[in-house]
Amino acid sequence: MKFGLFYELQTPKPYDGDSWDPDAERRVFHEMLEQVELADQLGFDYVFEVEHHFLEEYSHSSAPELMMAALSQRTKQIRLGHGIVLTPPPYNHPARVAERIATLDILSNGRVEFGTGESASEMELGGFGVDRGLKKSMWEEATREIANMLASEPYPGFDGEFFSMPARNVVPKPLQKPHPPMWVAASRRETTMVAARFGLASLGFGFETPEELGERATEYYRLLREESMPIGHALNPGLAVLNTFMMGKTDDEAIRRSAGGPGFFSYSLGYYYTPATGDTHPPGGRNLYRAYRDASPEQAAQESVERRGFLSEAEIRKGEPEDEVERALYRAARSGNAIGSTKRLRKTLKQYENQHLDVMVFVAQAGDRRHEHIMESIDQFGRELLPEFHERHESVHRTWRAKQLRGLEFPINSSI
Amino acid sequence: MATPEQVEHPELRELIAAAHTLMRAGRATDAVRTLANAYLLLLSLKPELLDQAVATMSGRTVPLAMRWPALGANLDVDAVLAKQPRIVFARDRFALSEAMTYYEFTLETSIAAGA
Repeated sequence: MKFGLFYELQTPKPYDGDSWDPDAERRVFHEMLEQVELADQLGFDYVFEVEHHFLEEYSHSSAPELMMAALSQRTKQIRLGHGIVLTPPPYNHPARVAERIATLDILSNGRVEFGTGESASEMELGGFGVDRGLKKSMWEEATREIANMLASEPYPGFDGEFFSMPARNVVPKPLQKPHPPMWVAASRRETTMVAARFGLASLGFGFETPEELGERATEYYRLLREESMPIGHALNPGLAVLNTFMMGKTDDEAIRRSAGGPGFFSYSLGYYYTPATGDTHPPGGRNLYRAYRDASPEQAAQESVERRGFLSEAEIRKGEPEDEVERALYRAARSGNAIGSTKRLRKTLKQYENQHLDVMVFVAQAGDRRHEHIMESIDQFGRELLPEFHERHESVHRTWRAKQLRGLEFPINSSI
Repeated sequence: MATPEQVEHPELRELIAAAHTLMRAGRATDAVRTLANAYLLLLSLKPELLDQAVATMSGRTVPLAMRWPALGANLDVDAVLAKQPRIVFARDRFALSEAMTYYEFTLETSIAAGA
Protein backbone atom coordinates (compact mmCIF):
# COMPACT_ATOMS: atom_id res chain seq x y z
CA MET A 1 0.00 0.00 0.00
CA LYS A 2 1.22 3.48 -0.81
CA PHE A 3 0.46 6.63 1.19
CA GLY A 4 -0.47 10.20 0.54
CA LEU A 5 -1.53 13.40 2.23
CA PHE A 6 -4.72 15.26 1.35
CA TYR A 7 -5.30 19.01 1.59
CA GLU A 8 -8.39 21.18 1.62
CA LEU A 9 -6.48 24.10 3.16
CA GLN A 10 -9.04 24.45 5.90
CA THR A 11 -8.97 27.90 7.45
CA PRO A 12 -11.46 28.14 10.31
CA LYS A 13 -12.26 31.58 11.65
CA PRO A 14 -11.31 32.28 15.25
CA TYR A 15 -14.00 31.29 17.72
CA ASP A 16 -14.32 34.78 19.15
CA GLY A 17 -13.98 36.84 15.97
CA ASP A 18 -16.04 37.47 12.85
CA SER A 19 -13.13 37.41 10.46
CA TRP A 20 -9.80 35.72 10.06
CA ASP A 21 -6.54 36.77 11.55
CA PRO A 22 -4.85 38.71 8.68
CA ASP A 23 -2.08 36.11 8.70
CA ALA A 24 -4.32 33.04 8.75
CA GLU A 25 -4.25 32.10 5.06
CA ARG A 26 -0.53 32.77 4.67
CA ARG A 27 0.12 30.58 7.71
CA VAL A 28 -2.06 27.67 6.50
CA PHE A 29 -0.60 27.75 2.97
CA HIS A 30 3.00 27.85 4.15
CA GLU A 31 2.38 25.16 6.75
CA MET A 32 1.15 22.89 3.98
CA LEU A 33 4.36 23.48 2.01
CA GLU A 34 6.42 22.55 5.08
CA GLN A 35 4.35 19.45 5.79
CA VAL A 36 4.63 18.16 2.25
CA GLU A 37 8.34 18.93 2.15
CA LEU A 38 8.80 16.74 5.23
CA ALA A 39 6.57 14.00 3.79
CA ASP A 40 8.65 14.06 0.61
CA GLN A 41 11.88 13.60 2.58
CA LEU A 42 10.39 10.66 4.49
CA GLY A 43 9.20 8.85 1.38
CA PHE A 44 5.45 9.54 1.31
CA ASP A 45 4.20 8.72 -2.17
CA TYR A 46 1.52 11.32 -2.92
CA VAL A 47 0.08 14.66 -2.02
CA PHE A 48 -3.43 15.42 -3.29
CA GLU A 49 -4.96 18.87 -3.16
CA VAL A 50 -8.57 19.77 -3.90
CA GLU A 51 -9.99 22.50 -6.10
CA HIS A 52 -12.86 24.25 -4.35
CA HIS A 53 -14.33 27.71 -4.72
CA PHE A 54 -16.09 29.99 -2.26
CA LEU A 55 -16.27 27.37 0.52
CA GLU A 56 -15.13 29.71 3.28
CA GLU A 57 -13.34 28.03 6.19
CA TYR A 58 -13.95 24.55 4.76
CA SER A 59 -11.53 24.91 1.84
CA HIS A 60 -9.41 27.85 0.69
CA SER A 61 -7.80 25.73 -2.02
CA SER A 62 -9.08 27.47 -5.12
CA ALA A 63 -5.80 27.56 -7.06
CA PRO A 64 -4.17 24.18 -6.37
CA GLU A 65 -2.06 24.44 -9.52
CA LEU A 66 -0.10 27.25 -7.88
CA MET A 67 0.45 25.29 -4.67
CA MET A 68 1.56 22.33 -6.78
CA ALA A 69 3.97 24.55 -8.72
CA ALA A 70 5.48 25.72 -5.44
CA LEU A 71 5.74 22.13 -4.22
CA SER A 72 7.38 21.04 -7.45
CA GLN A 73 10.33 23.24 -6.50
CA ARG A 74 10.53 22.19 -2.84
CA THR A 75 10.18 18.42 -3.21
CA LYS A 76 12.09 15.72 -5.05
CA GLN A 77 10.08 12.51 -5.29
CA ILE A 78 6.54 12.88 -3.94
CA ARG A 79 3.85 12.67 -6.65
CA LEU A 80 1.84 15.88 -7.05
CA GLY A 81 -1.83 15.06 -7.24
CA HIS A 82 -4.73 17.21 -8.24
CA GLY A 83 -7.43 15.83 -6.02
CA ILE A 84 -9.13 17.04 -8.19
CA VAL A 85 -9.34 19.58 -11.06
CA LEU A 86 -12.92 20.62 -11.77
CA THR A 87 -13.21 19.78 -15.46
CA PRO A 88 -16.70 21.05 -16.39
CA PRO A 89 -15.80 23.84 -18.86
CA PRO A 90 -17.45 26.71 -16.94
CA TYR A 91 -14.86 26.14 -14.19
CA ASN A 92 -11.81 25.64 -16.39
CA HIS A 93 -11.52 25.69 -20.15
CA PRO A 94 -10.22 22.25 -21.18
CA ALA A 95 -7.25 23.70 -23.08
CA ARG A 96 -6.19 25.69 -20.01
CA VAL A 97 -6.33 22.52 -17.90
CA ALA A 98 -4.20 20.63 -20.44
CA GLU A 99 -1.67 23.48 -20.53
CA ARG A 100 -1.42 23.67 -16.74
CA ILE A 101 -1.13 19.90 -16.28
CA ALA A 102 1.62 19.68 -18.88
CA THR A 103 3.50 22.66 -17.46
CA LEU A 104 3.37 21.22 -13.94
CA ASP A 105 4.54 17.86 -15.27
CA ILE A 106 7.56 19.57 -16.82
CA LEU A 107 8.31 21.65 -13.70
CA SER A 108 8.07 18.58 -11.46
CA ASN A 109 10.05 16.29 -13.78
CA GLY A 110 7.08 14.05 -14.47
CA ARG A 111 5.42 13.76 -11.06
CA VAL A 112 1.85 14.87 -11.84
CA GLU A 113 -1.26 12.84 -10.98
CA PHE A 114 -4.21 14.28 -12.91
CA GLY A 115 -7.31 13.94 -10.77
CA THR A 116 -10.63 15.02 -12.28
CA GLY A 117 -14.09 15.70 -10.93
CA GLU A 118 -17.28 17.67 -11.28
CA SER A 119 -18.10 19.32 -7.88
CA ALA A 120 -21.38 19.14 -6.00
CA SER A 121 -21.99 22.19 -3.82
CA GLU A 122 -24.40 24.93 -4.86
CA MET A 123 -21.87 27.58 -3.81
CA GLU A 124 -19.56 26.35 -6.56
CA LEU A 125 -22.07 25.25 -9.20
CA GLY A 126 -24.09 28.45 -8.83
CA GLY A 127 -20.97 30.60 -8.65
CA PHE A 128 -19.78 29.38 -12.04
CA GLY A 129 -23.19 28.85 -13.63
CA VAL A 130 -22.90 25.07 -13.89
CA ASP A 131 -26.20 23.20 -14.35
CA ARG A 132 -26.27 20.48 -11.70
CA GLY A 133 -28.08 18.10 -14.03
CA LEU A 134 -25.38 18.41 -16.70
CA LYS A 135 -22.23 18.36 -14.62
CA LYS A 136 -21.46 14.67 -15.13
CA SER A 137 -21.87 14.97 -18.90
CA MET A 138 -19.65 18.07 -18.83
CA TRP A 139 -17.03 16.23 -16.79
CA GLU A 140 -16.96 13.32 -19.23
CA GLU A 141 -16.75 15.41 -22.39
CA ALA A 142 -14.09 17.76 -21.05
CA THR A 143 -11.98 15.05 -19.38
CA ARG A 144 -11.85 13.00 -22.58
CA GLU A 145 -10.83 16.03 -24.61
CA ILE A 146 -8.18 17.16 -22.11
CA ALA A 147 -6.58 13.71 -22.42
CA ASN A 148 -6.72 14.12 -26.21
CA MET A 149 -5.07 17.55 -25.97
CA LEU A 150 -2.27 16.17 -23.79
CA ALA A 151 -1.63 13.21 -26.06
CA SER A 152 -2.31 14.52 -29.57
CA GLU A 153 0.00 16.61 -31.71
CA PRO A 154 -1.72 18.64 -32.98
CA TYR A 155 -5.10 18.49 -31.28
CA PRO A 156 -7.56 18.13 -34.16
CA GLY A 157 -10.24 20.33 -32.61
CA PHE A 158 -13.63 19.45 -31.22
CA ASP A 159 -17.25 20.36 -31.70
CA GLY A 160 -19.01 19.22 -28.56
CA GLU A 161 -22.09 19.74 -26.48
CA PHE A 162 -20.37 21.85 -23.82
CA PHE A 163 -17.34 23.33 -25.54
CA SER A 164 -15.87 23.59 -29.00
CA MET A 165 -12.52 24.74 -30.35
CA PRO A 166 -10.71 24.62 -33.68
CA ALA A 167 -7.59 22.55 -34.35
CA ARG A 168 -4.64 23.79 -32.34
CA ASN A 169 -1.40 22.32 -31.11
CA VAL A 170 -1.87 22.52 -27.34
CA VAL A 171 1.60 23.08 -25.90
CA PRO A 172 3.59 22.24 -23.89
CA LYS A 173 3.23 18.47 -23.82
CA PRO A 174 3.64 16.58 -20.53
CA LEU A 175 6.79 14.59 -19.80
CA GLN A 176 4.73 11.52 -18.90
CA LYS A 177 3.42 9.83 -22.04
CA PRO A 178 0.79 9.70 -23.32
CA HIS A 179 -0.33 11.82 -20.35
CA PRO A 180 -0.01 11.80 -16.54
CA PRO A 181 -1.98 9.11 -14.65
CA MET A 182 -5.66 10.05 -14.52
CA TRP A 183 -8.07 9.80 -11.57
CA VAL A 184 -11.65 10.64 -10.75
CA ALA A 185 -13.14 11.68 -7.41
CA ALA A 186 -15.60 9.03 -6.21
CA SER A 187 -17.94 9.74 -3.31
CA ARG A 188 -20.21 6.86 -4.27
CA ARG A 189 -19.68 3.24 -5.19
CA GLU A 190 -21.26 3.83 -8.61
CA THR A 191 -18.56 6.36 -9.49
CA THR A 192 -15.83 3.89 -8.55
CA MET A 193 -17.35 1.54 -11.13
CA VAL A 194 -17.45 4.37 -13.69
CA ALA A 195 -13.75 4.84 -12.92
CA ALA A 196 -13.09 1.15 -13.62
CA ARG A 197 -14.89 1.20 -16.96
CA PHE A 198 -13.12 4.40 -18.02
CA GLY A 199 -9.70 3.15 -16.88
CA LEU A 200 -9.31 5.82 -14.21
CA ALA A 201 -8.02 5.43 -10.68
CA SER A 202 -10.70 6.07 -8.08
CA LEU A 203 -9.98 8.66 -5.41
CA GLY A 204 -12.50 7.48 -2.84
CA PHE A 205 -14.00 10.19 -0.68
CA GLY A 206 -16.36 7.80 1.10
CA PHE A 207 -14.18 6.93 4.12
CA GLU A 208 -14.85 3.30 3.18
CA THR A 209 -14.30 0.51 5.68
CA PRO A 210 -11.80 -2.26 4.86
CA GLU A 211 -14.66 -4.68 4.09
CA GLU A 212 -16.36 -2.27 1.70
CA LEU A 213 -13.04 -1.56 0.11
CA GLY A 214 -12.43 -5.28 -0.39
CA GLU A 215 -15.70 -5.69 -2.29
CA ARG A 216 -14.99 -2.61 -4.38
CA ALA A 217 -11.44 -3.69 -5.20
CA THR A 218 -12.66 -7.06 -6.50
CA GLU A 219 -15.37 -5.48 -8.64
CA TYR A 220 -13.23 -2.55 -9.78
CA TYR A 221 -10.47 -4.78 -11.12
CA ARG A 222 -12.97 -7.18 -12.71
CA LEU A 223 -14.63 -4.33 -14.60
CA LEU A 224 -11.25 -2.92 -15.58
CA ARG A 225 -10.32 -6.29 -17.10
CA GLU A 226 -13.64 -7.09 -18.71
CA GLU A 227 -15.33 -3.81 -19.58
CA SER A 228 -12.69 -1.12 -20.09
CA MET A 229 -13.59 1.63 -22.54
CA PRO A 230 -10.81 4.10 -21.63
CA ILE A 231 -11.55 7.79 -21.47
CA GLY A 232 -7.83 8.58 -21.77
CA HIS A 233 -4.97 7.18 -23.83
CA ALA A 234 -3.63 4.98 -21.00
CA LEU A 235 -5.22 3.25 -18.03
CA ASN A 236 -4.42 4.18 -14.46
CA PRO A 237 -5.64 1.21 -12.39
CA GLY A 238 -5.94 2.09 -8.73
CA LEU A 239 -8.10 2.56 -5.70
CA ALA A 240 -7.39 5.18 -3.05
CA VAL A 241 -9.31 5.79 0.17
CA LEU A 242 -9.30 8.80 2.48
CA ASN A 243 -8.92 8.59 6.23
CA THR A 244 -8.41 11.21 8.91
CA PHE A 245 -4.90 10.97 10.35
CA MET A 246 -3.14 11.94 13.54
CA MET A 247 -0.47 10.11 15.51
CA GLY A 248 0.91 10.28 19.02
CA LYS A 249 3.07 8.23 21.33
CA THR A 250 -0.15 6.82 22.77
CA ASP A 251 -3.70 6.56 21.45
CA ASP A 252 -4.82 9.12 24.02
CA GLU A 253 -2.23 11.61 22.87
CA ALA A 254 -3.27 11.13 19.22
CA ILE A 255 -6.94 11.64 20.09
CA ARG A 256 -6.12 14.77 22.06
CA ARG A 257 -4.02 16.13 19.18
CA SER A 258 -6.68 15.21 16.67
CA ALA A 259 -8.79 17.84 18.43
CA GLY A 260 -11.61 19.29 16.37
CA GLY A 261 -10.02 18.26 13.07
CA PRO A 262 -12.32 15.46 11.90
CA GLY A 263 -15.35 17.04 13.57
CA PHE A 264 -14.93 20.39 11.85
CA PHE A 265 -14.03 18.70 8.57
CA SER A 266 -17.28 16.76 8.65
CA TYR A 267 -19.38 19.65 9.98
CA SER A 268 -18.21 22.19 7.42
CA LEU A 269 -18.38 19.71 4.55
CA GLY A 270 -21.91 18.79 5.57
CA TYR A 271 -22.81 22.47 5.88
CA TYR A 272 -21.85 23.29 2.30
CA TYR A 273 -23.23 20.10 0.77
CA THR A 274 -26.58 20.19 2.54
CA PRO A 275 -29.06 22.20 0.46
CA ALA A 276 -30.79 23.66 3.51
CA THR A 277 -27.57 25.32 4.71
CA GLY A 278 -25.09 25.28 1.82
CA ASP A 279 -27.46 26.74 -0.77
CA THR A 280 -28.32 29.69 1.47
CA HIS A 281 -24.86 30.43 2.86
CA PRO A 282 -24.44 34.21 3.23
CA PRO A 283 -21.04 34.98 1.65
CA GLY A 284 -18.74 36.39 4.29
CA GLY A 285 -21.53 36.31 6.82
CA ARG A 286 -20.98 33.28 9.03
CA ASN A 287 -18.46 31.89 11.45
CA LEU A 288 -18.67 28.16 10.75
CA TYR A 289 -16.07 27.22 13.31
CA ARG A 290 -18.03 28.94 16.06
CA ALA A 291 -21.26 27.38 14.82
CA TYR A 292 -19.59 23.98 14.89
CA ARG A 293 -18.30 24.44 18.42
CA ASP A 294 -21.58 25.86 19.74
CA ALA A 295 -24.12 23.78 17.88
CA SER A 296 -22.36 20.48 17.90
CA PRO A 297 -20.69 20.09 21.25
CA GLU A 298 -20.67 16.34 20.79
CA GLN A 299 -18.41 16.87 17.84
CA ALA A 300 -16.07 19.31 19.51
CA ALA A 301 -12.53 18.50 20.39
CA GLN A 302 -13.14 18.22 24.10
CA GLU A 303 -15.59 15.43 23.47
CA SER A 304 -13.02 13.35 21.69
CA VAL A 305 -10.76 13.68 24.68
CA GLU A 306 -13.51 12.89 27.13
CA ARG A 307 -14.51 9.85 25.10
CA ARG A 308 -11.17 8.39 26.07
CA GLY A 309 -11.00 6.13 23.09
CA PHE A 310 -12.36 5.34 19.67
CA LEU A 311 -15.77 4.16 18.70
CA SER A 312 -15.71 0.53 17.70
CA GLU A 313 -16.58 -0.40 14.14
CA ALA A 314 -19.94 -1.68 15.41
CA GLU A 315 -20.61 1.58 17.29
CA ILE A 316 -19.76 3.64 14.23
CA ARG A 317 -22.10 1.57 12.08
CA LYS A 318 -24.99 1.58 14.54
CA GLY A 319 -26.10 5.10 13.76
CA GLU A 320 -24.93 5.27 10.17
CA PRO A 321 -27.09 7.06 7.60
CA GLU A 322 -28.22 5.01 4.64
CA ASP A 323 -27.22 7.53 1.99
CA GLU A 324 -23.63 7.03 0.92
CA VAL A 325 -22.59 10.67 0.98
CA GLU A 326 -24.16 11.28 4.38
CA ARG A 327 -22.46 8.13 5.59
CA ALA A 328 -19.09 9.49 4.46
CA LEU A 329 -19.68 12.65 6.50
CA TYR A 330 -20.71 10.60 9.50
CA ARG A 331 -17.61 8.48 9.28
CA ALA A 332 -15.30 11.41 8.61
CA ALA A 333 -16.14 12.74 12.04
CA ARG A 334 -16.06 9.47 13.91
CA SER A 335 -13.79 6.88 12.38
CA GLY A 336 -10.38 6.63 13.99
CA ASN A 337 -8.81 4.29 11.47
CA ALA A 338 -5.69 6.42 11.10
CA ILE A 339 -5.69 8.17 14.46
CA GLY A 340 -3.58 6.65 17.21
CA SER A 341 -0.23 5.24 18.20
CA THR A 342 2.12 3.37 15.89
CA LYS A 343 0.78 0.09 17.21
CA ARG A 344 -2.82 1.03 16.54
CA LEU A 345 -2.20 2.35 13.02
CA ARG A 346 -0.17 -0.71 12.11
CA LYS A 347 -3.18 -2.85 13.00
CA THR A 348 -5.93 -0.77 11.38
CA LEU A 349 -4.02 0.02 8.19
CA LYS A 350 -3.11 -3.61 7.71
CA GLN A 351 -6.82 -4.34 7.40
CA TYR A 352 -6.90 -2.13 4.30
CA GLU A 353 -3.70 -3.68 3.03
CA ASN A 354 -5.26 -7.13 3.38
CA GLN A 355 -8.14 -5.97 1.18
CA HIS A 356 -5.67 -4.89 -1.53
CA LEU A 357 -6.03 -1.14 -1.21
CA ASP A 358 -3.55 0.60 -3.51
CA VAL A 359 -3.26 4.00 -1.82
CA MET A 360 -4.30 5.32 1.60
CA VAL A 361 -4.62 9.10 1.64
CA PHE A 362 -4.45 10.89 4.98
CA VAL A 363 -6.42 14.00 5.91
CA ALA A 364 -4.08 15.59 8.43
CA GLN A 365 -4.67 19.33 8.00
CA ALA A 366 -8.20 19.92 9.26
CA GLY A 367 -10.06 22.24 11.61
CA ASP A 368 -8.09 23.49 14.58
CA ARG A 369 -5.32 20.93 14.50
CA ARG A 370 -1.86 22.29 15.17
CA HIS A 371 0.90 22.37 12.59
CA GLU A 372 3.53 20.98 14.95
CA HIS A 373 1.35 17.97 15.74
CA ILE A 374 0.82 17.31 12.04
CA MET A 375 4.55 17.55 11.43
CA GLU A 376 5.27 15.14 14.28
CA SER A 377 2.64 12.73 12.98
CA ILE A 378 4.09 12.78 9.47
CA ASP A 379 7.53 12.20 10.97
CA GLN A 380 6.32 9.35 13.21
CA PHE A 381 4.48 7.62 10.38
CA GLY A 382 7.33 8.10 7.94
CA ARG A 383 9.89 6.61 10.30
CA GLU A 384 7.92 3.92 12.08
CA LEU A 385 5.36 2.58 9.61
CA LEU A 386 5.96 3.70 6.02
CA PRO A 387 9.01 1.46 5.36
CA GLU A 388 7.25 -1.79 6.28
CA PHE A 389 4.16 -0.97 4.21
CA HIS A 390 6.37 0.01 1.29
CA GLU A 391 8.28 -3.23 1.59
CA ARG A 392 5.08 -5.26 1.40
CA HIS A 393 3.83 -3.07 -1.46
CA GLU A 394 6.84 -4.16 -3.49
CA SER A 395 6.98 -7.78 -2.36
CA VAL A 396 3.27 -8.67 -2.14
CA HIS A 397 0.94 -6.05 -3.59
CA ARG A 398 2.73 -5.64 -6.91
CA THR A 399 2.32 -9.36 -7.59
CA TRP A 400 -1.40 -9.14 -6.76
CA ARG A 401 -1.81 -6.12 -9.04
CA ALA A 402 0.04 -7.79 -11.87
CA LYS A 403 -2.44 -10.68 -11.65
CA GLN A 404 -5.40 -8.30 -11.74
CA LEU A 405 -4.04 -6.51 -14.78
CA ARG A 406 -3.07 -9.61 -16.74
CA GLY A 407 -4.61 -9.70 -20.19
CA LEU A 408 -5.44 -5.99 -20.39
CA GLU A 409 -4.94 -4.85 -23.93
CA PHE A 410 -4.63 -1.11 -23.26
CA PRO A 411 -1.45 0.77 -22.33
CA ILE A 412 -1.02 1.56 -18.64
CA ASN A 413 0.53 4.64 -17.08
CA SER A 414 0.36 4.34 -13.31
CA SER A 415 2.66 5.31 -10.46
CA ILE A 416 1.16 2.64 -8.16
CA MET B 1 -19.75 -9.15 -7.90
CA ALA B 2 -23.09 -7.95 -9.22
CA THR B 3 -24.30 -9.23 -12.59
CA PRO B 4 -27.72 -9.22 -14.30
CA GLU B 5 -27.89 -13.02 -13.84
CA GLN B 6 -28.43 -12.40 -10.12
CA VAL B 7 -31.74 -10.65 -10.83
CA GLU B 8 -34.53 -13.18 -10.41
CA HIS B 9 -37.44 -11.56 -12.23
CA PRO B 10 -37.06 -12.49 -15.92
CA GLU B 11 -38.34 -9.25 -17.44
CA LEU B 12 -36.31 -7.08 -15.09
CA ARG B 13 -33.22 -9.19 -15.70
CA GLU B 14 -33.72 -8.87 -19.45
CA LEU B 15 -34.06 -5.09 -19.29
CA ILE B 16 -30.93 -4.70 -17.18
CA ALA B 17 -28.97 -7.06 -19.43
CA ALA B 18 -30.18 -5.15 -22.49
CA ALA B 19 -29.07 -1.87 -20.92
CA HIS B 20 -25.66 -3.38 -20.27
CA THR B 21 -25.33 -4.38 -23.93
CA LEU B 22 -26.40 -0.90 -25.07
CA MET B 23 -23.96 0.73 -22.68
CA ARG B 24 -21.09 -1.45 -23.90
CA ALA B 25 -22.00 -0.49 -27.46
CA GLY B 26 -21.69 3.19 -26.55
CA ARG B 27 -25.45 3.82 -26.86
CA ALA B 28 -25.71 5.74 -23.63
CA THR B 29 -29.08 7.39 -24.21
CA ASP B 30 -30.77 4.12 -25.14
CA ALA B 31 -29.20 2.48 -22.10
CA VAL B 32 -30.51 5.19 -19.77
CA ARG B 33 -34.04 4.91 -21.19
CA THR B 34 -33.94 1.13 -20.77
CA LEU B 35 -32.72 1.47 -17.20
CA ALA B 36 -35.48 3.96 -16.44
CA ASN B 37 -38.00 1.34 -17.59
CA ALA B 38 -36.19 -1.28 -15.51
CA TYR B 39 -36.34 0.89 -12.40
CA LEU B 40 -40.05 1.60 -12.83
CA LEU B 41 -40.61 -2.14 -13.21
CA LEU B 42 -38.60 -2.75 -10.03
CA LEU B 43 -40.78 -0.25 -8.15
CA SER B 44 -43.90 -2.05 -9.32
CA LEU B 45 -42.43 -5.39 -8.23
CA LYS B 46 -41.22 -4.04 -4.89
CA PRO B 47 -43.66 -1.29 -3.88
CA GLU B 48 -42.14 -1.26 -0.40
CA LEU B 49 -39.35 0.86 -1.91
CA LEU B 50 -41.99 3.60 -2.20
CA ASP B 51 -42.94 3.26 1.46
CA GLN B 52 -39.61 2.97 3.20
CA ALA B 53 -38.30 6.41 4.12
CA VAL B 54 -34.71 7.65 4.32
CA ALA B 55 -33.43 10.92 5.73
CA THR B 56 -31.85 13.33 3.27
CA MET B 57 -29.12 15.87 3.89
CA SER B 58 -31.74 18.59 4.02
CA GLY B 59 -33.25 16.93 7.08
CA ARG B 60 -36.39 15.78 5.25
CA THR B 61 -37.35 12.18 4.76
CA VAL B 62 -38.13 10.88 1.31
CA PRO B 63 -39.07 7.44 0.00
CA LEU B 64 -36.14 5.08 -0.46
CA ALA B 65 -37.01 4.96 -4.16
CA MET B 66 -35.82 8.59 -4.52
CA ARG B 67 -32.19 7.48 -4.25
CA TRP B 68 -32.37 6.92 -8.02
CA PRO B 69 -29.73 9.37 -9.32
CA ALA B 70 -31.04 12.70 -10.62
CA LEU B 71 -28.80 12.95 -13.67
CA GLY B 72 -31.40 14.06 -16.17
CA ALA B 73 -33.73 11.05 -16.01
CA ASN B 74 -35.39 12.25 -12.85
CA LEU B 75 -37.85 10.48 -10.62
CA ASP B 76 -40.81 12.79 -9.96
CA VAL B 77 -41.09 13.07 -6.18
CA ASP B 78 -44.80 13.98 -6.20
CA ALA B 79 -45.56 10.97 -8.35
CA VAL B 80 -43.59 8.76 -5.99
CA LEU B 81 -45.47 10.13 -2.99
CA ALA B 82 -48.72 9.40 -4.85
CA LYS B 83 -47.43 5.82 -5.43
CA GLN B 84 -47.55 6.40 -9.19
CA PRO B 85 -43.83 6.66 -9.93
CA ARG B 86 -42.71 8.14 -13.21
CA ILE B 87 -39.40 9.29 -14.60
CA VAL B 88 -39.18 12.66 -16.33
CA PHE B 89 -36.48 13.15 -18.94
CA ALA B 90 -34.92 16.58 -18.62
CA ARG B 91 -32.99 16.13 -21.88
CA ASP B 92 -32.63 13.93 -24.93
CA ARG B 93 -28.97 12.92 -24.75
CA PHE B 94 -27.03 11.16 -22.03
CA ALA B 95 -23.34 10.50 -21.53
CA LEU B 96 -21.74 7.12 -20.97
CA SER B 97 -20.80 7.97 -17.39
CA GLU B 98 -24.47 8.66 -16.69
CA ALA B 99 -25.53 5.35 -18.24
CA MET B 100 -22.88 3.57 -16.15
CA THR B 101 -24.12 5.29 -12.98
CA TYR B 102 -27.76 4.37 -13.65
CA TYR B 103 -26.75 0.83 -14.55
CA GLU B 104 -24.80 0.23 -11.32
CA PHE B 105 -27.58 1.76 -9.24
CA THR B 106 -30.39 -0.23 -10.88
CA LEU B 107 -28.51 -3.51 -10.77
CA GLU B 108 -27.41 -3.13 -7.13
CA THR B 109 -30.84 -1.98 -6.00
CA SER B 110 -32.61 -4.82 -7.81
CA ILE B 111 -30.36 -7.45 -6.28
CA ALA B 112 -30.55 -5.89 -2.81
CA ALA B 113 -34.36 -5.81 -3.04
CA GLY B 114 -34.45 -9.48 -3.98
CA ALA B 115 -36.24 -8.79 -7.24
